[in-house]
Amino acid sequence: MSNTILSVKQLRKHFPVKNIWGNDIALVKALDGVDLEIERGKTFGIVGESGCGKTTLMRTLLRLVEPTSGSVVLSKLSKDQVNLNDLSNMELRNFRREIGVVFQDPMGALNPRMLIKDIVSEPLVIHGKTDNMRNRVIELLNNVGLGEEHLYRYPHEFSGGQRQRIVIARALALDPKILVLDEPTSALDVSVQAQILNLLNDLQKKYDLTYIFISHDLSVIEYMCDRLAVMYLGKVVEEADTEELFANPQHPYTKALLSATPQFFAPDKEKTMILGDVPSPITYLDESKAELATQITDQERLEIKAIEGKGIDYIVRSSLNKVFPLREISENHFARVE
Amino acid sequence: MLEIENLKTNFNTYDGVIKALDGVNLKINDGEIFGLVGETGSGKSVTCYSALKLLPKTGEVVGGKVTLNGEDITNASEARLQQIRGGEIGIIFQDPLSALNPVMTINEQIGEILILHQDFEIKKLASEKEIPVYKSEKWKSSPGVEFTIMAFCISFMSLFSMLGQFSFALPFLFVVSLMFLRDYLQTNVPTSALDLMVIDALSRVKLPNPKQIASSYPHELSGGMQQRVMIAMALAGKAKMLIADEPTTALDVTIQAQILQLIKDIQKEEKMSVLLITHDLGVVAETCEKVAVMYKGKIVEEASVDQIFTNPRHEYTKALLNAIPKGGKERLKVPDIGEPGAI
Repeated sequence: MSNTILSVKQLRKHFPVKNIWGNDIALVKALDGVDLEIERGKTFGIVGESGCGKTTLMRTLLRLVEPTSGSVVLSKLSKDQVNLNDLSNMELRNFRREIGVVFQDPMGALNPRMLIKDIVSEPLVIHGKTDNMRNRVIELLNNVGLGEEHLYRYPHEFSGGQRQRIVIARALALDPKILVLDEPTSALDVSVQAQILNLLNDLQKKYDLTYIFISHDLSVIEYMCDRLAVMYLGKVVEEADTEELFANPQHPYTKALLSATPQFFAPDKEKTMILGDVPSPITYLDESKAELATQITDQERLEIKAIEGKGIDYIVRSSLNKVFPLREISENHFARVE
Repeated sequence: MLEIENLKTNFNTYDGVIKALDGVNLKINDGEIFGLVGETGSGKSVTCYSALKLLPKTGEVVGGKVTLNGEDITNASEARLQQIRGGEIGIIFQDPLSALNPVMTINEQIGEILILHQDFEIKKLASEKEIPVYKSEKWKSSPGVEFTIMAFCISFMSLFSMLGQFSFALPFLFVVSLMFLRDYLQTNVPTSALDLMVIDALSRVKLPNPKQIASSYPHELSGGMQQRVMIAMALAGKAKMLIADEPTTALDVTIQAQILQLIKDIQKEEKMSVLLITHDLGVVAETCEKVAVMYKGKIVEEASVDQIFTNPRHEYTKALLNAIPKGGKERLKVPDIGEPGAI
């Protein structure tokens, strides 16, 4: 695609698990061959449950952790393409300008001993854009619905929603092209969440930003995103445009995820329960142990017994552990199904 | 079942008195699932804590009446309240890992509740089956502690024998032989009645290998399993009413669906009444029959689930429903209510 701003190819991040002698006995495959093409000016959503690798993906994209293999290519202009994984630390600093980040917990992302003015201007100082800084900071705060009167306050004086606004203002300080949002609203109430989502939509229109939106809340994802990737155990199991994915989910996990989300406007729709517990992401190097993962567990057997005869569809976790290659279902809709 | 009338609770802080509850009226009938929704700081949890007198020292119930099965428990004694908590009303808290004691096994924690509220049944079971009542394996601590003691003893023994001082190694040899002797003597001790009841409680919440889970510590279980253990604890006292304070907030959606299904199943089987406190309107729509919406320490609307979602009356309820993204790109209407925490 010519309009691609960030393309991720076969990105892998494996964390080794060591025994007490220091030998590798297993790998946690947090990312296992992720391919993504992110379009300019659109919102790309990533969903999945906790432990599926969403946050590792974000951290690897920004090279906050070093990937095991794979490439992240940022096209600044259409001709000028840069693979972030080949850059040295000093070169990388220039490209960090292009990508802003908003983390999940706003209080954890703000230094409690710094004034708001210092927090928002810190990226400007680091990148040497110090002329007319005060006006720039006020402009940034105005963009997110705060004002000059907030300059000389500390983070603890703000409510959760306002703190998240400050984090967004800081992320926008260097005019990034891409904004990575890691669960920006999961710590907030619905009314505050709505304010933040509206603000993000406004900012996207104003500055032509590209969002990478990570969340586990499907209603938020459906509202915000143009295209969506569903992750399960370090792999993208389904990728499609949001409307297509919600209307026509293919992978069994996607189906279960969509129907597990409680919805108040259609509570009587058909349900697919997912039985069993979240599997361990550890892959043992010893093959006899690795095989165990696809066998049905005791927990699942009990739950199947409890649910049979109630007319509820179910799928079993252990059946999801078999991996199929990514297949094109229809145009721009990919899924890992048989 | 439970009736709360005009309940008022104040918190005394350095900045003055905060009226957390300002006249709350609730009525929960037998065998119904009642949802209590509201945003952070609206007083949902404080309502249930005030009813059970579980408030922190700064909190104080200043007025109102709480009736349980026709009995006025507003001014009940602490002894009576202890019978009620766990015995007649079971509670599930939001974060299972911080509600469970990290240094006690699941067996001990559920056993504690059973001894407090089901002592008679345990003794009856013990006399019927002619097995010990409480403890079967008297001197056994956790496997980790056993291993550590063993390792220490053996290392000291080898150290002293290397130094040529065999006499110093003798006490450690004695400890090791005592541990083996104990294992030999305890091979045929039957499980106690308490253990059987714990295992029964765990299998009711559909946990596999209840015996193994009973001997494990909370951190060894996954989030969903921990919440199942919490439910098992709440049900262990044969309570007729269950208060679930945000039971699924800390869990993933797929696990949340499992836990809600479990609560629904158990409610049907045991004909309990459930008070479900949550901030998620979707959860309410799927599980509850009646809903009350709380805002700033007051109940602003109470209706059946169908009614509240199709025909909300109060402005705040309407605003709350409009703030939830419903797919499509139409702009979210933000409720004009100021900050939710401000009371």
